[in-house]
Amino acid sequence: VESTQDRARRTGWRGVLLETPVPVPAVTLTDMRGQPFHLASETAGSLTLLFFGYTNCPDICPVHLSNLAAVLPRFPWDVRSRIRVVFVTVDPERDTPERMRTWLERFGPGFTGLLAAPETVDRLQQQMGLPPAVVQERRSGGAYDVGHAAAVLAITPDGLVRVSYPFGTRQADWLHDLPRLLRTFSD
Amino acid sequence: MLWWCAAQTAAWDWSWRAYPGVWLFLLACIGAYALIGRGRARRTGQRVRVGYAIVAFLLMWSALDWPLGTLGGGYLASLHAVQFLFLAMIAPPLLLLALPRVPESGSPPAIARLLLFGAVVFATHLPAISDALMRSQPGAFLVDILWIGGGLLYWAPVVQPEGQGSMSPILRMGYLFALMVLMTGPGALITFADVPLFAVYELAPRVNGFPALSDQRLAGVLMKVGGAVIIWTAISILFYRWHREENRLLQAEIRDMAARSVSTADHL
Repeated sequence: VESTQDRARRTGWRGVLLETPVPVPAVTLTDMRGQPFHLASETAGSLTLLFFGYTNCPDICPVHLSNLAAVLPRFPWDVRSRIRVVFVTVDPERDTPERMRTWLERFGPGFTGLLAAPETVDRLQQQMGLPPAVVQERRSGGAYDVGHAAAVLAITPDGLVRVSYPFGTRQADWLHDLPRLLRTFSD
Repeated sequence: MLWWCAAQTAAWDWSWRAYPGVWLFLLACIGAYALIGRGRARRTGQRVRVGYAIVAFLLMWSALDWPLGTLGGGYLASLHAVQFLFLAMIAPPLLLLALPRVPESGSPPAIARLLLFGAVVFATHLPAISDALMRSQPGAFLVDILWIGGGLLYWAPVVQPEGQGSMSPILRMGYLFALMVLMTGPGALITFADVPLFAVYELAPRVNGFPALSDQRLAGVLMKVGGAVIIWTAISILFYRWHREENRLLQAEIRDMAARSVSTADHL
C-alpha cells in the first residue's frame, strides 16, 4: 500500500486521485429536517466531502468527522464557506433525523446528515465506486455494527468525484489538500 | 491474546483486558529485587527501602497494565505522557533508592548518562519512531523498557550515596537541571504543534470525544510541567540535604574553634 507521503510526492495530493472522475449521480435523499436533498444540485459550486457511515460507528466515523471538524475552522472564511461535509447514513434503522442531528452537532455546526432507502444508498455507493454497507451479526441485546466503506469522497465544485480519502487521512492531509482542491477544480 | 499494551483499533470501553506479559515482567522485576536484597533484611533503613520498592512497583504496574497502560498505549497521548513520567521519572529513582547502596565503579560518566537518557526521551517522542513502535506489542514493550532502563541509567548518579567518585551536590543539581533543559525540546514540540503529530493517537477511536489536538497539547504540558515538578522536587531535596550538611560542618567547626579558644585561654 502506497504511503500518504509517497502518494503526495507522486501526485501532489495526499488523497487518492480517481483514475476517472465520476459525475455526481442524480439522486435525491432526505436531509435531517425531512426536506429533499438533490445531491448534484446541492453540491454544485462547493467542495463537498461525502462520507457513508452510521452514528453508532465505534471507530472510523467519529475519527474522520472529528478530524474534519478540527481542521475546517482553521481555514479562512472564503475557503471554509465553500466546503461542505455531507454524511449519508448506512443504518437507517437506527439513524433517525433527530439522532443524526444530535450526533453531528457533537462534531461542529454545518455538517449535513442525509437519509435514503437502503437500496438508494447502496446504488449511490456503487455509482461512486464504493462497496455497499453490510449489516453485521446482531449481538445479544440487539446491537449490531455495520461494515461500510471507510473513505471520504471529495466532490469538487465542478461536480465530479475526484479524490478518495481512506481511513488514516490525517488533519495535516486535509489542511494540505482542501484549499488546493478548491483552487484547482473551481468552475 | 494481547500480552502488552499497544495501539488498537477497537473503540475504548471500560471492559477489563488482561496483559500477561506485563504481569510476568513485573514478577521478574520483583524477583530480581528480592534476589539483590537477599540477606540484607536486617540492615538499617531496610523498611524504608522496601517501602520505596513497593511504591516503585505499584507505579510501574499502574503505568503498564489496564486501564492506564491500555489508554496510554493506544488511545490518549496525554496518558502516554503520564506513563512516561511514572516509568522514566518516578519509578527509577525509587527503585534505585530501594536497592542496597553499593559504590559504583567503571560505570558510564554522568554526562554520558544524561545524553543517553536525553536521546531515549527525544527518540521515543519523535512521531515517526513513536508511531512505528507503538503500533506493535514488541515495539510498545521496547518503548517501556527504554524508559525504565534509561531512567535507571539517568537517576543513578542522583541517588548515589556521597563518597569517592560521586558527584557533588551542586553538580547533581546541575545534572538535574540539564535534563529539564533537554526535555524542553520534545515538550515544546508536542505542546505547540498546530496539528496532531502522532498518527497512533490521532487515528485512535476517540475517548469521550476528546479531540486529538487537545489531547496532544495536554500531553506536552503534562510532560513539561510534570517533569519540572519531579526535577525541582529532587533539586529541593538535594539542596536541603546539602544545606543541612554544610550547616552541620559549620557548627562543628565553630564548636571546635570555641573549644580551641577556651583551651588557649586556660593555657594563658
